[in-house]
Amino acid sequence: MKIDCSGLACPEPVLKTKKALEELPNDSILEIVVDNVASRENVLRFAQNGGFDARAEELQGGKSLITVVKGFACAVVASSKEEAFLDKTLFLKSDKVGEGELGAKLIVGFLKSTLELPKLPKRIVCVNTAVYLTTADADAPVMEILKGLEAKGVEIYSCGVCLEFYGVSDKLKVGKIGNAYGTIEMLFGGEGTISL
Amino acid sequence: MNNEAKLTKYVKAAGCAAKLGPGDLTEAIGSLSCTHENVLVGMDTSDDASVYALDSSRALVQTVDIITPVVDDPFVYGQIAAANSLSDVFAMGGEVATAMNIVGFDGCHQPRSVLKEILAGGESKVRECGGVIIGGHTIEAPEMTYGLSVCGFVHPQKIYRNNTPRVGDVLVLTKPLGMGILTTAIKADMLPLNAVEKVASILATLNHKASRIMQRYDVSACTDVTGFGLFGHAYEMSANRVSILFDIDAIPIVEEAKALADMGIIPAGAYTNKAYLSDKVAFTQAHRNEMMLYDAQTSGGLLIAVSQNDAVKLLEHLRNEGIEYAAIIAEVKAFGDKPLAYM
Repeated sequence: MKIDCSGLACPEPVLKTKKALEELPNDSILEIVVDNVASRENVLRFAQNGGFDARAEELQGGKSLITVVKGFACAVVASSKEEAFLDKTLFLKSDKVGEGELGAKLIVGFLKSTLELPKLPKRIVCVNTAVYLTTADADAPVMEILKGLEAKGVEIYSCGVCLEFYGVSDKLKVGKIGNAYGTIEMLFGGEGTISL
Repeated sequence: MNNEAKLTKYVKAAGCAAKLGPGDLTEAIGSLSCTHENVLVGMDTSDDASVYALDSSRALVQTVDIITPVVDDPFVYGQIAAANSLSDVFAMGGEVATAMNIVGFDGCHQPRSVLKEILAGGESKVRECGGVIIGGHTIEAPEMTYGLSVCGFVHPQKIYRNNTPRVGDVLVLTKPLGMGILTTAIKADMLPLNAVEKVASILATLNHKASRIMQRYDVSACTDVTGFGLFGHAYEMSANRVSILFDIDAIPIVEEAKALADMGIIPAGAYTNKAYLSDKVAFTQAHRNEMMLYDAQTSGGLLIAVSQNDAVKLLEHLRNEGIEYAAIIAEVKAFGDKPLAYM
């Protein structure tokens, strides 16, 4: 069950959460979207003090998604997590797919389509010139797509050595910095790796 | 109480919870200049009221404040708004002379009789402290607001400033905290009637008596706790010159507010205050009542810096005069790491 408390002021988000939790059967998940710090903190406070397992994650546009578990936390969270993602890693070695202007367009197109998939890859690993994607200008189309993927829970890693090599470490706008060992572990550890 | 008018249901935020954040305000008024040879207290120190010297024995104290409804009963709302407006004069150690009504009247939702009751409530409080209402101004407004523009007098040598505490002083607070949380709960009809009456009676209590009593003791600074919360006003008191160490368990808090805070009924103003003060407060382990320190108060109590020698005498005097919530809550120390800390 999901409720949207955007635009509501205290105490409305808490009261809506309370009502929804009362109506929900055991072993279910309530998702609450809020658009300010006060609502986020208040809903978390309400849920946690009420003995529920609750956590918040940042969404785009200053919003947060709060997940409250009613019932057995670990069992329910684990199954819902697995359902949302393919156990696959998208391995990007370049900021293009193929050569030239077309290659630059293709990568944006592929990533955009990925965003629409019902099941997303678990993580995206960027090495070599692919780090230009995670360090693109804030208003570049690819940045919006990558941030969208991250907001949906996809882990994005940019190779630290590559960021330094191209002198763009301070421009990283999405995801985390990965190291060689972690990268290799992700490539071999997952169910499968897809390279564009 | 007569709650039929449902005053709180037609406003976005209740009372001082509707106040503009301290950061926004500082930026907006930063460029205004108010220097003049007769101005003894101006805007530069964020004090409670301004003071203008008339002659060697008299200075004019001026202040203005309006709030949105915090209770549904019009008469009681009038009393609370007036007590809130008058308080700034008492925090300076002054006596009230005259007051003018300032009303934004929500004629779409309320009949004229409501206005009459609000004004009667306000007048009752002005009279209680020996003042008189001599005029006012009313406009139609989408949200109800009421308050007073107040004139009072103070001796120019006996002004109680908000930012002059001495190292070694202790701080006494004369009213309990939790009003922002409680008025938010009143607006949502979440508070039982007996609790609403208790809260309304605290809100409507004038700081007049507490101000008169403190003037008989060795007091170095005084302010009233309002929209910026206890910590917002304590920060102004510290003036970044001293560090104030609070004993959080000694701070009076209305019991019902603690339960509401646990439930997450904390107005956004408290989080705004907390964010503004984040780098002014020494890091401590989280405490259940931490958000109370930032809760925006309407018609809050006086925060009085008094010498340790006089502190217990002042406290006993206040309590004997019916100011039952008064408590010693903090100690003023030499400036350490941060201006504010609690344990």
